[in-house]
Amino acid sequence: MTDLTRRRFLSASAALAAAGLGLPMIGRAAPKARVVVVGGGYAGAIAAKYLQRTAPEIRVTLIEKSPYYVSCPLSNEVLSGERDLDSLTFDYRGLTRRGINVMQDEIVEVDPAQHFVRGAGGNRYNYDRLVIAPGVDYRWDAIDGMTEAAAEVVPHAWKAGPQTELLRRQLEAMDDGGVFIIVAPPNPFRCPPGPYERAAQVAHYFKVHKPKSKILLLDAKDAFSKQALFQAGWKAHYGDMIEWVPGAAGGIVEGIDPDSRTLIGQVDDYPGDVVNLIPHQRAGKLAQVAGLADDSGWCPVDPRSFESTIHPDIHVIGDACIAGAMPKSGYAANSQGKVCAAAIAAALNGDPLPAPSYVNTCYSLIAPDHGISVAGVYELNDGAIVGVPDSGGVSPADADARTRAIEAKFARSWFSNITADMFT
Amino acid sequence: MPRPLRTASTSSPTGRFWLAAGIAAALALGAAGAPASDVRSAPMLANTCAGCHGTDGASAGDYMPTIGGLAKGYLFEVMSDYKTGLRPSTIMGRIMRGYSDQEIWAIADFYASRPWVSTDRIGEAAAVHVGEQIHEQQCATCHEDGGRAQDDDSPRLAGQWSEYTLYALENCREQGKRCSPRKMGLRVMDLSDEELTSLADYYESQK
Ligand SMILES: Cc1cc2nc3c(=O)[nH]c(=O)nc-3n(C[C@H](O)[C@H](O)[C@H](O)COP(=O)(O)OP(=O)(O)OC[C@H]3O[C@@H](n4cnc5c(N)ncnc54)[C@H](O)[C@@H]3O)c2cc1C
Ligand code: HEC
Ligand code: HEC
Repeated sequence: MTDLTRRRFLSASAALAAAGLGLPMIGRAAPKARVVVVGGGYAGAIAAKYLQRTAPEIRVTLIEKSPYYVSCPLSNEVLSGERDLDSLTFDYRGLTRRGINVMQDEIVEVDPAQHFVRGAGGNRYNYDRLVIAPGVDYRWDAIDGMTEAAAEVVPHAWKAGPQTELLRRQLEAMDDGGVFIIVAPPNPFRCPPGPYERAAQVAHYFKVHKPKSKILLLDAKDAFSKQALFQAGWKAHYGDMIEWVPGAAGGIVEGIDPDSRTLIGQVDDYPGDVVNLIPHQRAGKLAQVAGLADDSGWCPVDPRSFESTIHPDIHVIGDACIAGAMPKSGYAANSQGKVCAAAIAAALNGDPLPAPSYVNTCYSLIAPDHGISVAGVYELNDGAIVGVPDSGGVSPADADARTRAIEAKFARSWFSNITADMFT
Repeated sequence: MPRPLRTASTSSPTGRFWLAAGIAAALALGAAGAPASDVRSAPMLANTCAGCHGTDGASAGDYMPTIGGLAKGYLFEVMSDYKTGLRPSTIMGRIMRGYSDQEIWAIADFYASRPWVSTDRIGEAAAVHVGEQIHEQQCATCHEDGGRAQDDDSPRLAGQWSEYTLYALENCREQGKRCSPRKMGLRVMDLSDEELTSLADYYESQK
């Protein structure tokens, strides 16, 4: 920011304060504008960091319920035994070192009129602008018999942590020759390639340790992300171990009996030895509580600023928001966090909202030396986030083994960089 | 969107550079008349790269190159070459096709003005010895000062992740005579895996 805009910002907030309190301005430090970010994941951590970097005159508070963050990206490699959860776990010291107030608290109340949020223990945080990045919540009622408690028997492992470890233990305990069932949710959901990468990672583990086992992917959909690349990769590495059942061929699951681990489909029932049911999803609970979601369960926003179209001065980023052509991914969340931070800095300075630019990339690992990717570059067009014509796309279908291997390396380096971008 | 600018008359490195400077001038003029919020700013465009290349282009991952602090002309040229497909890539081509040449120039400007950050790994004398010798004999005329020197045509190599440099050298070897510049391709073509690895380690050790 130039000196000019900084001065403009400071004098504007000082004048506001003086007006509000009826006090003379002389001799008083101008109060800083306050931005509160709730949720320290791929979206929230980035919004807090980039806001603090671009506009140090703003006081940034990041509120996260957990003292550390466990990344979902690469957590499918925990299921294959290629890595442990420690390698996916980060703390917030890098952000406190930058001068961001990081508070461990769970926000339970949002008051859009009075401009404050309240934590579970009663702490109140006032804001001029609020950013909500709570990730996803599950629609437990979408599948008969599925409950939060049942997830202790049939884990979703769709938030990395104890759920991931539970699923890994179940896979380890399964007999060779068993059937592992993944239930993939309907769109939109967190990480469109995730269930298919998971199938590959578990197959990688079975191939060595339980080669007689089967993986059944029951899908609510008839097509999925990077489908041709996944199906070719499955075949090349794991033969017929993975069977995908699209919705139209009976893949839609309507109910479950958790105790017998039996899935009730529209046509058939499917008994499994280990079942991973990924529930239908909606915006994180806080977004629901705050009334920021519409009938779809997700939060409508102005894509230029990610400001809610329901409550002014509240921005929603990451998986929870509706972001046009962008998928619900960590990279998209990162990109949205930066656009949102730039918009808030401009708005608090009285500047016009900047023209946004967004990017997404998702790497997936089919085997330790077989990576594939999808990339997208997006722009704002007629008020909607759309892909730039002729850009982006998936890895070529005919790539050689060297390319697949180097993409797997790039996937791991991507992880190092995106997490360094968030936490250092 | 403007078409790629590579034409016969602009294919020499200096020609490309002057062309880029012309775009910058045109951009500055254009920006003055238009409302600020219709032109995507350099930081807005460039911060999207940090998810793969690290904050300010200082990479924390061994296969992803550090790009912050490279010369503006070089960055512009490399990104344009990804866009047109002249330079092979796994993903950069797909990404650069999303930007106009003016935007690529703005992004190059942004990263050129970031500080270069060398990796923090220490070099191993035994591993870099062969590389140092080859460098002195075959590469030092262009990559001066142990690869620390850079300009609008060639990148700094010193302190870059060796995994990335090795990947770049393998690509160059595979292209052989078609590797740009040809003089470099002709030399890299004849080097073994061990020699390339040692060269990459050598450059990383030169902070
Ligand atoms: C198996 C799997 C693999 C994936 N792989 C990839 C991949 O390779 N690449 C990719 O780009 N994406 C991937 N994703 C998707 C990625 O994980 C999500 O898109 C990303 O985490 C979204 O970021 P977010 O900030 O919106 O939510 P989250 O990262 O979930 O962060 C939300 C944060 O908010 C906190 N929070 C929630 N409510 C409150 C509250 N009331 N008070 C305080 N704190 C609160 C939570 O504790 C959490 O830390 C994957 C997902 C899964 C499940
Ligand atoms: C999805 C991850 C990803 C994103 C996003 C990305 N890059 Fe890259 N970049 C790579 C990879 C991988 C390479 C190596 C070439 C290849 O295989 O594509 C690379 C190479 C480069 C190089 C070559 C460095 C050298 O000296 O040879 C430059 C310059 C570069 N990228 C700039 C950018 C810029 C600028 C952006 C944002 C507009 C960007 N990249 C976005 C992954 C990415
Ligand atoms: C004739 C001058 C010249 C010689 C000799 C030369 N280089 Fe280069 N080198 C260049 C130029 C110019 C580039 C930038 C190429 C481009 O625009 O893509 C470059 C790029 C590179 C790169 C980066 C490539 C990338 O994709 O990021 C590496 C690594 C490199 N050189 C290594 C070497 C090594 C090792 C040798 C000796 C064996 C060598 N060079 C000899 C001029 C030279």
